Amino acid sequence: MTDILTLVFRTFSSQTGQKQDPSVGPPPPSLRCSTLVVGEHRLSRSVLLLAAVTAASELGIRVSFFAQTRIQSLPVCLQRCSATLNPEGLKKIAFSYPRTLEELLQQVASLHESPLPPSLIIVDRLDGFLQEPVAGSHAGFHSGEESGAAHLSALLCDTAAFLTEVLEQRGSSSAPCRVIASFLLNVDSGQESRDYSATDPILVVLDRYFQARCTLDQDRSYEAAAAAAQEVWRIYLSGTKSPEDCEDGPALAQEWKLFTFPDGLMEFKLV
Amino acid sequence: MRCLLPAVAEQLFRDIRKIYEETTQIPDDLLIALKFVFGSCALQALDLVDQRSVTCLSSPSGRKAFQVIGGSGRLYTCFLSCHYCPCPAFTYTVLRRNQGLLCKHILAVYLCQAMALTQQESVSDQQMSAMLSGTGAP
Repeated sequence: MTDILTLVFRTFSSQTGQKQDPSVGPPPPSLRCSTLVVGEHRLSRSVLLLAAVTAASELGIRVSFFAQTRIQSLPVCLQRCSATLNPEGLKKIAFSYPRTLEELLQQVASLHESPLPPSLIIVDRLDGFLQEPVAGSHAGFHSGEESGAAHLSALLCDTAAFLTEVLEQRGSSSAPCRVIASFLLNVDSGQESRDYSATDPILVVLDRYFQARCTLDQDRSYEAAAAAAQEVWRIYLSGTKSPEDCEDGPALAQEWKLFTFPDGLMEFKLV
Repeated sequence: MRCLLPAVAEQLFRDIRKIYEETTQIPDDLLIALKFVFGSCALQALDLVDQRSVTCLSSPSGRKAFQVIGGSGRLYTCFLSCHYCPCPAFTYTVLRRNQGLLCKHILAVYLCQAMALTQQESVSDQQMSAMLSGTGAP
């Protein structure tokens, strides 16, 4: 699924970036079909929305977008980009708002019944679905935390695998079906860069199922402060080796920078 | 089930498939290899195979899933394309402690597939959805 995120980053890339690819177009479909976006909530939701709109408008594919809280508005950079904000494309996005993990599981499980299956399944804030308040104690992951995370991840991946076969059988150019989900870590805001996988048991489970990781990490360096941007984020695309990687080549590893400006604009730059 | 296992396990299932096709038996050396690779759950999985506990369910949409009847009679739904089982052993041994490749139910699915002993059953699309989400059984 990194093909769609890469397309998003290219589409909204810096015009002054030296390494910008002038041919903004769909990269070849990736065999690595599931990506977990790990990072800060507000930003990860914007990245998911950019992915949904870009996939629907640029690639013309159907998108199922699941979130616990309603989408109130699109990111500013989408509102200002009339070429990308194609109304016909937006109609291809189906927003659903399941309240609980059980409702989300039911809605994802029934996607195979749809006569027009999606080619992209997006879930905003897996952690919100997996984390349920425990009466009489602090809110936290319930006792079946790992099993719930595994069930949801496995269902998403199995559904995408099935829908890929359906789309291929129909000769559809919108195959394969991809999955993108975001996960917000429960960490102290002041904590510096850390090894997420080593500290979060749920993330360890999610990593079993998602083939690629998109990590959003805030850049607090001097260079970032000097860039006149409100915030600068480092985006790491990483993944385990897949059949698309050449045998001796490296696994997926790509780094982008994201500049967010006070007026809400977002700009990506390949590092 | 698509194989998501180490090469040694994949080869083991290929060997079992070939020999079982010819002799309808699994020789001792392959049983020992099964025990070596999968530990104690190998014997439990073979019990489930003997009891024909694995069923491949399919619905009109073409969606498929495996259902395994556990020793206590409880039904466990497993997916085709990735390893997941709602049983406690999968959660503790595989997910939490990372001490096993899979549980006895998933191993039974692999063995039944290799030995062509999987039962077949049709369900409606709605029943399939309920099973996949863990909210119902056919």
